[in-house]
Amino acid sequence: MAEGRTRRYREPDVHQGSPWPFVIAIGAAVAYVGLIVSIPLMILGLVVFVSGAVGWLRDDLHTTPRAFFGTSGETGVLGKVSARKLATWLFLATEVMFFSAIIGAAWTIRFRTTSGPGALPWAYSGEILNVPGTALATFVLICSSLTMVEALSAIERGDQKHLRDFLLATMLLGITFLAFQANEFYHLYFVEHLTFTSSPYGINPNYGPAFYIQTATHGAHVTAGVLALAYTNIKAWKGGFTKENHETVELVGLYWHFVDVVWIFLFTLVYLI
Amino acid sequence: MAAETAMAAPVADAVEEPVKRPYVYVFVVLAVVTLVEVYISMQDFASIDRVSILIVLATFKASLVAAYYMHLRYEPRWVMLIPFAALALVFILVAALTASTGTLPPIPQP
Repeated sequence: MAEGRTRRYREPDVHQGSPWPFVIAIGAAVAYVGLIVSIPLMILGLVVFVSGAVGWLRDDLHTTPRAFFGTSGETGVLGKVSARKLATWLFLATEVMFFSAIIGAAWTIRFRTTSGPGALPWAYSGEILNVPGTALATFVLICSSLTMVEALSAIERGDQKHLRDFLLATMLLGITFLAFQANEFYHLYFVEHLTFTSSPYGINPNYGPAFYIQTATHGAHVTAGVLALAYTNIKAWKGGFTKENHETVELVGLYWHFVDVVWIFLFTLVYLI
Repeated sequence: MAAETAMAAPVADAVEEPVKRPYVYVFVVLAVVTLVEVYISMQDFASIDRVSILIVLATFKASLVAAYYMHLRYEPRWVMLIPFAALALVFILVAALTASTGTLPPIPQP
């Protein structure tokens, strides 16, 4: 597979023809249905999902896929935007809607439970949340965006060493951010007793669930990003990316930067306002 | 091989150019604006002004990341339609929620 550059563009393996995305889709569907009707079914779905993901990554680990520009061999109206990048952007658009729904729900709860007689107020900025500490965590995430884009820049020059270094730095910064968040959750839940049903200091009891659902959803996305980076790191250490074929680095980067963008808004909407 | 050469050529050309992208400058701006945001959040002035300024600054930061780190600035223009289409839907969501917030009764306390 290492002779990827010499393959003809329209050979079937350019498209991979992998069955694993299908397995992943089935697993996700079963897991979602299970979430509603039966926990064992959900676990079964998750097992199928993870098996599909592992199978797909194992396939990918041994290839150096070039940018996939579609099936016709002509770039046409899509210009130089590959099918994979287009799909990633479409996925990110759905993520925008997903986070908007969660943030919108949180703000609706905020507005509609803090008005009226006897309503308890929302926490003001810095009342219970550690703003300076989280600003530091925000800085860490911004740093990780820089290292990610520098990793891409390195492999665009064919610089394997800097690709590996920057990818590793990005992953470690992501883990650092998660450590900040885990520490914050622990402190808020067990020390401050900000739970899903109650709040300290006379703060509105809806504050806890609104806070946790927004930040934990983002944290789950960072975790997914760290896992994607772990895979990208492994592939980079095996020399799986070249100056010509490194689209995975770019696509993982797109997701990682998106997670940063979401945090930019969450930091403002949850911590500062 | 002909097809291979045809596909590889534009990519190779793009790589050979001495591309200087302002990643570090963007990083510095993002870091500084974050500090400004924290400073503003601690100031005691009209809430609506503070909220407006903070949201404008967050939007500015997000735009920088999308334009430079996510390379929207360097992609064909139409790619921007994808995030903007999502943002249009977000705008509708926010407008609908804002409108309903004023008309619906407060949710009772648990």
